[in-house]
Amino acid sequence: MLLKPYLLVACLALGALPALAVKKSHEAKHAQTPAPVKAAPQNPDGAAEARLIQIYTLIGKAQNRQALAMATRLVEELPHFQLAQLVYGDLLTAQTRPLKTMGDVPETMARNGAAVLADLREESQRRIKALRERPPAGTVPSQFLALSQRSRHAIAVDASRSRLYLFENSPSGLKLVADYYISVGKAGISKVTEGDQRTPLGVYYITSNLDPKSLKDFYGAGALPINYPNILDMRRGKTGSGIWLHGTPPNQFSRPPQASDGCVVLTNPDLNHIIRTVEVRSTPVVIANQLKWVEPHSTRSEGKSFEDSLHAWRNAKTSGNLSQILSYYTPDFNSNGKTLEQWTPTLKAELSKVQGPTIQLKDVSYLRWTDSADTMVATFGEVADGVRTGWTKRQYWIRQGNQWKIFFEGTI
Amino acid sequence: MKHARSAVLHPLRLLALAAAMLAAGAHADEYADVNQLVRAGKLPEAMAKADQYLSTKPKDPQMRFLKGVIQRDSGKTPDAIVTFTRLTEDYPELPEPYNNLAVLYAGQSQFDKARTALEMAIRTNPSYATAHENLGDVYAKLASQAYNKALQLDNTNTAVAPKLALIRELFSPGAKGQRPAAGLTVPAAPVAAAAPPAPAATVKPAVQAPAPVPAAAPVTPAAATPAAPVATKPITPAPAPATPAPAADAGANQTREAEAAVRAWASAWAAKDVKGYLASYGKEFVPPGSMSRNQWEAERKQRIGSKSNISIKLENFNVAVNGTKATAKFRQDYKASGLAVSSRKTLDLVKTGDRWQIVRESTGN
Repeated sequence: MLLKPYLLVACLALGALPALAVKKSHEAKHAQTPAPVKAAPQNPDGAAEARLIQIYTLIGKAQNRQALAMATRLVEELPHFQLAQLVYGDLLTAQTRPLKTMGDVPETMARNGAAVLADLREESQRRIKALRERPPAGTVPSQFLALSQRSRHAIAVDASRSRLYLFENSPSGLKLVADYYISVGKAGISKVTEGDQRTPLGVYYITSNLDPKSLKDFYGAGALPINYPNILDMRRGKTGSGIWLHGTPPNQFSRPPQASDGCVVLTNPDLNHIIRTVEVRSTPVVIANQLKWVEPHSTRSEGKSFEDSLHAWRNAKTSGNLSQILSYYTPDFNSNGKTLEQWTPTLKAELSKVQGPTIQLKDVSYLRWTDSADTMVATFGEVADGVRTGWTKRQYWIRQGNQWKIFFEGTI
Repeated sequence: MKHARSAVLHPLRLLALAAAMLAAGAHADEYADVNQLVRAGKLPEAMAKADQYLSTKPKDPQMRFLKGVIQRDSGKTPDAIVTFTRLTEDYPELPEPYNNLAVLYAGQSQFDKARTALEMAIRTNPSYATAHENLGDVYAKLASQAYNKALQLDNTNTAVAPKLALIRELFSPGAKGQRPAAGLTVPAAPVAAAAPPAPAATVKPAVQAPAPVPAAAPVTPAAATPAAPVATKPITPAPAPATPAPAADAGANQTREAEAAVRAWASAWAAKDVKGYLASYGKEFVPPGSMSRNQWEAERKQRIGSKSNISIKLENFNVAVNGTKATAKFRQDYKASGLAVSSRKTLDLVKTGDRWQIVRESTGN
């Protein structure tokens, strides 16, 4: 029997990408921690999706019996995986009559559950699409211009694909180690005001790791809050708070592509893996509507003009010339509520401390965020020569013409 | 094709059960007695008789099977499950115990288990139509449950359990029809009315196994087959001696009418015209198993109505008329909801007024 609605999926079988993509992450994990191998969790991250895709692939090859057997096992283990239930239902239905569509539910059900059905079909398509259209090997999202070894990991979210990409940051550069299906806000993306049920777009950092015991079941395995609204968001008057990466409630293995009040939602096994892997504060989370994947060396040349500005600022600071230094700051500069004028004494105090020796910038990271404005989020250690420790600074820069200017500076 | 396959399987089945079959012949009366009691609704008596028999022949599959049916009819589902499960262990090549296990599991809404049992029944006998049809219903039910979970709908209001067909006898009495005497004694009683006085002797042995086939499904279990070809033979010549001389034309007319009635029955079925389909059956028609006419009609209605489309083709048509009685034999190609079964079918018809109506339906070679 031919399962037309699933034929589309057949091309997936030819690509054979999904299985590889998932395997890669596990290999990487094992390579990293060869010592004590813990008993594999029942549903390691990404496994459920890999199995779903395997079922699709079997359907694409018209191996419906095997597909049904796999689907039976999958729903037995994850009865709350709604998309798996839908495919399982279809495979059972296909035993008695040809399918007309993906999710070929009886008419009354289709009416009563129209919205859910549409969501599940969308989830299915997005999962397939993200696995079929893989980022080119060796490329990174264009936002990651420079990432120091202080960030062992990085996260990028592509809302248009309902996908979160997890990177490992080694001295040789960023390496994609896993990617997961995610849900964003009910009303989509580009959060502006509190309660708009949108997911913010921008460059963020994970600020903490909330103890799941302190959370409602609704958030699942845990939660990693991010620093929305960030400096750029606040400058733009955006409101709202409590944007987290979190898990799913007990009755839902995964949620529709647009489901949350603005948070990024992962399945619990996937979130667990991220919680175990990433570090609080140093892990950047870039959320974009659509990620642009670029060769790492092209980011170096793109970042050149900014890096020149950053070093010029450092040189000005080493020289101790206040007016020269102040030329690197925008007139509407703001540091935690202080205007440039109010903040100048802080700058002066810093200068008096480091007076003399050259200032070194260590572990420099800068992530670019471009929308209506071209901005840079820079993080670095500022240490004077001969001094053991300095402070870790974060600056927000904005490009004005061909000049980069600082509109926020603070220590973290 | 399916028939070629089942033809290979039958000898195996028979071989495996040779001993039981031999015994069965000798004890046909006991089975018949138990069956009579079941049909009469005397379940405790039937159980006592079955137990008595099993005390001397504890392994006898036919009586154990009957016992399972009695337990089920008495509402002792867990006991019936044990009985049929043991039968599947002792006689894994038999599809019927698996089928009935599935019916019991489905009755408990354990559709996954029902599915497994039916898939086993089909594995042991791929052309087993009752199991196929039951499995189709179980798949549909499981699909509906899966869809409910997928859409997170409250499925309490869609909890209509499918009605699966229970097999009531392990071996068809027809198999014993090789011994005409036994053939006569078996399920004849309730059907007697339908049997014409004169040709009765010849038609009777052909009374192959209508009773054990409650499904009224397009095809019956293979069990019915072995004896049939031999037993049915006499039927064809039967009309000859019975029809004296009066009018050959009249005879041909009657044949055409009877055939038309059968074709109307088939097209009503294919058109899912349940009313027309049921009207093809005369008052004398005895529903299979111990179902009442109402139960049987309800089941047919549900089964026919649940198919999205049905196609019926009749081939190798052969009608023999004897006075107001007729026997139609043909090959029936049934297709519905992904299930395709080709089988031999025999319909006995009786003319009441100017209508030919079905009084007996049996399947097999």
